[in-house]
Amino acid sequence: MGLLRDIIGMLPRRRKGDWARVPFVVTFGGFKKILETNNQVLELMADMGDKLGGQFIFDRQYIIASCEKAKELVQQIIMEINKLAPKKYLGLYDAFRQIENQIDADLSGQLVIPQTPYVVPSASPIREAVEAVGNKNARLNEVSQVLGLAVPPGFMVTSRAFMDFMEHAGLRMRMQPWLERWRDGNITSQEASQALRPLVMAGELPPGLEKGMRAEAHSLLSHDRQQQKIFAVRSSALGEDGDLSFAGQYQTLLGVEAADLTQAYRTVVASAYSARALEYRRQWKVNEEQMAMAVGCQLMVDAQAAGVLYTLDPQAPEQERMLISAGYGLGEPVVAGQAAADHYRISRQAPYKVFSLDVVRKNQELRVQPEGGTTYQKVASELESAPALNTVQIARLAEMARRIENYFKTPQDIEWALDRQGEFVILQVRPLNLKSQVTQMVCDIAEVLKQRPVIFSGRGAVAQRGIGTGPVYVVKRNQDLDGFPDGAILVTRFTSPRLGKVMRRARGVLTDVGSPTGHLATIAREYRVPTIVNTGVATHLLKPGMEVTIDAEQNVVYQGTVKELCYFQFTEDAFEESQEYRLLRRVLRRIASLNLVDPQDKDFTPRSCRTLHDITRFVHEKAVDELINLDYHHSPGTAARQLKLAIPLGLTVIDIGDGLQAPAGSREITLEQVSSLPSRALLEGMSEPGIWCTNPMSVDFGSFMSSVTRTFANSLTSPKDVGRNLAVVSREYLNLNLRLGYHFNIIDAYISDDVSANYIYFRFLGGVTDLARRNRRAQFLDEVLTQNDFRTEVRGDLVVGRIKKLPAQRMLEKMRLLGRLVSFSRQLDVKMQNDEQISIYLKEFLKINDGHLSAAGA
Amino acid sequence: MNGEPKTQILILDDEPIVCRRLRPSLEKGGYEVETFIRSDEALERVRQKHFDVIITDIKMEGLDGLGFLAEVKKLSPGTEAIVITGFATMETAKRSFQEGVFDFVAKPFSLSEIQGIVKKAEQKALQNR
Repeated sequence: MGLLRDIIGMLPRRRKGDWARVPFVVTFGGFKKILETNNQVLELMADMGDKLGGQFIFDRQYIIASCEKAKELVQQIIMEINKLAPKKYLGLYDAFRQIENQIDADLSGQLVIPQTPYVVPSASPIREAVEAVGNKNARLNEVSQVLGLAVPPGFMVTSRAFMDFMEHAGLRMRMQPWLERWRDGNITSQEASQALRPLVMAGELPPGLEKGMRAEAHSLLSHDRQQQKIFAVRSSALGEDGDLSFAGQYQTLLGVEAADLTQAYRTVVASAYSARALEYRRQWKVNEEQMAMAVGCQLMVDAQAAGVLYTLDPQAPEQERMLISAGYGLGEPVVAGQAAADHYRISRQAPYKVFSLDVVRKNQELRVQPEGGTTYQKVASELESAPALNTVQIARLAEMARRIENYFKTPQDIEWALDRQGEFVILQVRPLNLKSQVTQMVCDIAEVLKQRPVIFSGRGAVAQRGIGTGPVYVVKRNQDLDGFPDGAILVTRFTSPRLGKVMRRARGVLTDVGSPTGHLATIAREYRVPTIVNTGVATHLLKPGMEVTIDAEQNVVYQGTVKELCYFQFTEDAFEESQEYRLLRRVLRRIASLNLVDPQDKDFTPRSCRTLHDITRFVHEKAVDELINLDYHHSPGTAARQLKLAIPLGLTVIDIGDGLQAPAGSREITLEQVSSLPSRALLEGMSEPGIWCTNPMSVDFGSFMSSVTRTFANSLTSPKDVGRNLAVVSREYLNLNLRLGYHFNIIDAYISDDVSANYIYFRFLGGVTDLARRNRRAQFLDEVLTQNDFRTEVRGDLVVGRIKKLPAQRMLEKMRLLGRLVSFSRQLDVKMQNDEQISIYLKEFLKINDGHLSAAGA
Repeated sequence: MNGEPKTQILILDDEPIVCRRLRPSLEKGGYEVETFIRSDEALERVRQKHFDVIITDIKMEGLDGLGFLAEVKKLSPGTEAIVITGFATMETAKRSFQEGVFDFVAKPFSLSEIQGIVKKAEQKALQNR
C-alpha cells in the first residue's frame, strides 16, 4: 500500500483533536484494502478453476493450501468491513464459519453425505452427486444433464435417506452386535446376512420418505399417461462402479408397481447385507460405516428392443470394435443371459461400419403390461429371425456410446433400450475395466507417435486435456454452427460462448486465438471436450473434412486417426475421476460459486452468503455503500458531494486532497470544480456529446430467462442505481467505483509529473444479459484497451486493463478514452446479439474516439 | 521399434496422483518411467537399477526427499535430480539442497513445464553417462 502512504502524506496536516472519529484516510485505507483483497480472492478462485482443465499437475496439498489462502483472505475482508462499518456485519462471521466448516469437512476426506431431500427427480442438476445419490445414479445423471442423452423418467432416493433410515429404524444399533460377531469370525457371512436382512426389511422408514416417494411416483404417472406404470428399482451405493466394481453385488428389481416402491426400496437396501456383499466389502476393506446405499427408481421403458453395448469388445479388445447385444422387448433377459440375443460387432469410428451381424431366432419378448407387471409375448413370425436393430439404429446408438465413452474416458458398459417411438434411452452406464488388455495393445506409445505425421505441436494452451479424433469442421460464422456434425473436431478462429451450443457433440476444439481461462474453457471442462486454444494456426493448417487427432495434453495435432492415443488413455485412471479432481471441484463450489447477485434483493444479506465468493461480493457492495453514506461533517475537508453532470451518472465525490475547488459546505459541485487531474479527464471523456447513449434499452425475454440467477429490478434505467457511484479523489489520484446496471467498473489511477509513479488500473465485470453477450462486451473492451496500449487480462466477462509510466499528458488522454469507453459500452452487452457485432461496435467506437481526438487536437 | 535405449526416469511422490499423472505424459515423450510413493522402496530400486533422471518430492514420511537424494547421489552420482515441491516448502528445499539438484519445480506445475525441464536434465544425464 505504498500509494496509500503517499496519499496520506499528501493530506494537509490537521491539529490534534480533529480526529475525534476515524479519519477518512483510515476509512479509505480500509476500503482500498477490501478492494485489493477482493481482487486477490477472485484471482485465486480463477487459478483454482484453471487447474480443473488438466494441464497442471497438482496434489492434495495444493487444494489444502489454496483453501487456506482463500479463507484467510476472506477473513481479512470481513474484518475490514467490520472496521469500516463497526460491528454492522458481524453476521458475516457466522456465514464464514459455516462455509469454513464445510470446506474443512471436505478436506478431511471424511464421508460427508450432503443435506439433500430424501427423494430427488432424475432429470435435475445435482450437486456433489456421487455422495448425494451414489455412483450409478450420479453417472446416469451426468449422461442426461451434461451429455443431453435420454434416460428414463424417474427419481432417486438419496444417501441422506439411507442414513436417516438407518438412524430412525435403529438399524445401526441393532446391526452392531451381528456385525461384530461376523467380523470376529464367530458367525458366517451367511448367518450374518440372515440376521441383518430381516432387520432392514422390517425397519420403519423415516417420516417423509414414503410420502416423498409416493409423491414423485404420482407426479411421474400423472404427467405422462403414455408411460408404463411400473418401475425398475436399482441400487446405487457409494463406491459402486467406482474404484471397486461391486458388480452384481446388489439387487435390481424390475416390474415394480408404484404401490410396492417402498418395499422394493427396502429390498434393494437389504441387498447391501447379502452374504456376497458382506464378503466383498470385507475383502476390499470397505468400512461398514462408509457404506451408504442410494436407490434409483426408473419408470420402465416399454422397449421394442433393448440390450447392452460395450464400447470395446472385452473378449477381443485388440480388434477395436464395439459389441452390441440386442433382443426384442425389455433388456432384462439379455442382460441376465437368459435369452438368446443378436450380437453386432461394429467399428468404433463414424460412420460405424458393421463388421458382423450375428442374428439369432428370437421368438419371445418380455413386455411391460399396461396394467403393471411384465409378461412374455410371442414375437411376430416375420420378425423372429430379423436383426433387432437396423444399421441406421446401430449407428445412432454407437454415436451415443462414443459420446459417453469420451466423457468418462474409459470403455463403457451401457444398458440401452429403444422405446416404441424409436428413441434410444440409456438405462445404466458403468466403466468396463480393460486396463491390462489395452496396455498390451498399445505397446510402445512413444514409438508409435514418432511415426505419425504431426500437423503442429507445442502451440497454444490446453484448456481441457484429453484425446480427440474426428473430421475437421471449420466454423467461421455463427450460421456455420447449425451444420456441425456429431463427432467432429471444431476448428475456429475466436473462442466464443456461442460454441457452447455444439460443444457436447464435438470430439475436440482448436482455436486460433483465445484464453485458457475464458468462458470456452469452462464449457470445455464441463463437457470434458479436449480443447487447445490460441494455437495461432489452426484455421490455416486444418482444412474441412481432414481427419485429425488432437492430443490436448502433449499439445500436438496429428494427421489422421491415431487410435493408439485413445487406447493409451484407457490405460490411465481418468484425471476427472480422481479423488483430487473431485475434491477440487467440490471445494470450488463452496468457494467460487456466486449466489448473491442483486443488491436490491431482500436476500442480499450475510445470512444468505453460502460461498466465499458470496461474502466478497456482499462486502464489496457494502463497502461502497459505507463510503457513500459516511457522515463526513467531522472533517470538512473530506465531505461527500454530488457531482452535477450533463449525464445522469449520480456520482458521489469525496475529496481527500485538492481534488475539488469548491466552497466548503457546498453539497453539489460541477465538472469545472473538479481539479483532480485523472478525474477531470475521465469525466470529460464520459460526458462528451453523443457517447452516453440515452435510449433506454429493453432487455429481451431470452436474455431475461438466461440470467436466471438475477432477480430482476428494471435495472437499466432504475433510479435506485443512481447515486451508488463513488469517486475518491485528490489532485493526482482517482479511485472510482461504478455500478451501472449490473456491471461493476473500478478505475484506479494516479497521474502526476512523476512519470514512474503514473498508472491506470481498469477493471470491468458483469452485466445484465446472458453470459454470451457479456463475453462479447468483454471481448470488445479487450480489443479497445489493447489497441490503446493497455496490458489486458480477460477471464470470462472480467476484463482488467493496466497501463503505467507514461507522461502525464498521455495518461490523461488514456483517461479520456476510458471515459468514452465507459459511457459507450454501458449498455452494450444488451446489443451484442452476435459475434459480428463485436467488430461493428469496435469500428463505431474507434470512429467516435478518433473524431474526439482530432477535435481535441485541432 | 528401434534399438536406442530409453532414458530411465524414476518418480517419487507420496501423493499417488502426481505419479499417476506424470507417468503417462512422460511415457508418451519416449521415456521409461517407474513410479514410487514410498522413499524406502524407491531407494531399494535405485540400488538395483540406474536411473538417468529422478523426480522427487521433498516432504514425505520416513526418509524424506533430501535424505533420499543424498543416498541416490552416493549410489549413482551421474543421476540428475529434479525436485518438485509445494510453494511453501520451496525456499527450504532450495536452501538445504543447493548442490546436486538439476532444478526445482513448484507444484502445481504444467505438463509442458516439467517436460521441458526433464528434457534438459536428460541431456545432462546422458553426458554424465
